[in-house]
Amino acid sequence: MSDEPRNATATAATDADAEVTGGFADRWASFRDREISTVLLTVVGVAVFPFLFNNFLDGYTQLATLMLIYGIFAVGFDILLGYTGLLSFGHAVFFGGAAYAAGIFSASVSSSPLLVLFAGTAFAVLMAWIVGFLSLRRGGIYFAILTLTFGQMSFYLAASPLAFLTNGENGFTSVDIGHLLGVIDIHGGVPFPLTMLVDNMLYVFVAVVTVLSVAMANRILHSPYGTVFRAIRENERRAEFVGLDVWRYKLMAFIISAAFAGIAGSLFTIEGNYVPLQSLYWTESGRIVIMTVLGGVGSLFGPLFGAGLYLYIENIVSGFETLGPFWHLILGIVFVVAVILFPNGIWGGVEYGQDRTMAAIRFTRENGIKAALRYALDLTVQKVKAVIQKIRSVPARLFGGEGK
Amino acid sequence: MTLLDVDNINGYYGESHIIQDVSMSVDDGEITALLGRNGAGKTSTLRCISGATPPDVRSGTIQFDETDITNDPPEDIAVRGISLVPEERRVFTDLTVAENLHLADTVRNKSNTWRRKLDFRDEGMSTEEIYEYFPRLDERRSQKAGTLSGGEQQMLAIARALHQSTDLLMLDEPYEGLAPQIIESVENAIERISEDGTTILLVEQNAVAAMKIADRCYVLDRGQVVFEGPAEELQNDQETRDKYLGV
Repeated sequence: MSDEPRNATATAATDADAEVTGGFADRWASFRDREISTVLLTVVGVAVFPFLFNNFLDGYTQLATLMLIYGIFAVGFDILLGYTGLLSFGHAVFFGGAAYAAGIFSASVSSSPLLVLFAGTAFAVLMAWIVGFLSLRRGGIYFAILTLTFGQMSFYLAASPLAFLTNGENGFTSVDIGHLLGVIDIHGGVPFPLTMLVDNMLYVFVAVVTVLSVAMANRILHSPYGTVFRAIRENERRAEFVGLDVWRYKLMAFIISAAFAGIAGSLFTIEGNYVPLQSLYWTESGRIVIMTVLGGVGSLFGPLFGAGLYLYIENIVSGFETLGPFWHLILGIVFVVAVILFPNGIWGGVEYGQDRTMAAIRFTRENGIKAALRYALDLTVQKVKAVIQKIRSVPARLFGGEGK
Repeated sequence: MTLLDVDNINGYYGESHIIQDVSMSVDDGEITALLGRNGAGKTSTLRCISGATPPDVRSGTIQFDETDITNDPPEDIAVRGISLVPEERRVFTDLTVAENLHLADTVRNKSNTWRRKLDFRDEGMSTEEIYEYFPRLDERRSQKAGTLSGGEQQMLAIARALHQSTDLLMLDEPYEGLAPQIIESVENAIERISEDGTTILLVEQNAVAAMKIADRCYVLDRGQVVFEGPAEELQNDQETRDKYLGV
């Protein structure tokens, strides 16, 4: 990339900073907007996550690891769905493909976790180049169907014609993961200071990769690429008119998101020491769509939460005594409620709450606590009135009467 | 000197023959207006020039600065120094003012396309010059373009195009949907840009406003050129004005 856009970004950022006049709300806003702070927040988040999860939410470290893995997958998927506006229904190709590639690589070439991770990701990128090249010729629903088709093709390929490589329906079992950098046992425990937070090395490894992935996604989204992706999402035609090579950027978005899927897929193999054939099935592609939408499309952190919540319901809620058997239904209800209440997902809801709180703090500082309380009261009354109005209009809407 | 020379082009949307033997030339440093009623083929002609498909140009040639650009892809045509301000809401409303301008940097960047062999032949206006030109945009750098007024959005669209290149600026209906006093300020901006040496091709339905600032005019009707000549000539040609422009 040339220096020009970056300098311009820098100027814009300084300007934004200059507008900040101090105060907690503004300082928080400017901290949040800086890239390094995003990375720091992620570090803190993944560091305390297993402790909180295990102690307060009935969780266990292995599930926490899996949540991060799917989180990476979802963050990458959101670059495609949320930022570029392309709905792919075949991302299992890259997740499962990378998982198989990583497994086969570990069994026959090298068992070094870093090399395995690299091999799986490289395979996903290669596949994305081919699949993207063929399916991005069409937009909208046709694109979704084409990717779905490629996904199912790869599933059936792995199931039988390539069974000599993939071990068919039994899944690939000969995964062999060695020590990290030759010394650290990745499936072993952790040294002293870390034991306060987490109990196994695998989580640490996955957490580090997660932080790097989030940092990378953040960098991409703040680069000129990110701007172009959002321009394409808004209006592809206009982007083309302006002189952007739209097709090329769409392919790049596709490949980038597949690379994240590849990282996740390889980690999945490293984590489980096994590759199920299921990882290529279309439900896997569907899962990632649900996770991303649930978490919040078009946000960096949203998909991480979406992946977490999905897996939580699938693994923890499903173990509850009475509700357990209905976990699919619960997931469906959560999904519907989330989408109706917060069209921008959980993260959209969080941001909404945050904006409201900030606005409230600012208002209180400017007008004093009394005015703020009065305003809050007025607003509540208004809201309640609106809800009552809505409920009263239901019979009219249902029966077409004039009951207003 | 002729900067853009369109020679007998025929454009098609599928089987419908939408541009019929259109010839026009745009001289260096001038403001040329392309007028006509809704559906006369004005925007289609612009699309032909900028390389957007459809329409496909099946015969005729388009030359820019003595290079044949007929049927080149839009990103290549942009490189040669032709920048377009498309019609309707012409900016990316989800992006900030600064980000909208950065899109031009991206277009100028070599990595915008894998096919390109050429460098941008034109410097384009620097961001600082742009903000000097349009102080309103300077104040709103980190604001989303969707929150700007119609006139400001139009200014931003023009600014983006100028940041990309200043050789030939093609404006598609810049006055559409703007209040009269805002039209005036856009007009002033266009004249100022022209005085600073940028050649302008202005496509407009609002013939009265366009004739005010244009040097030469072309009138299109049903895909054919029915009038060409200096703006004053069109001003005085009541018959053409009645028949094709309704003014």
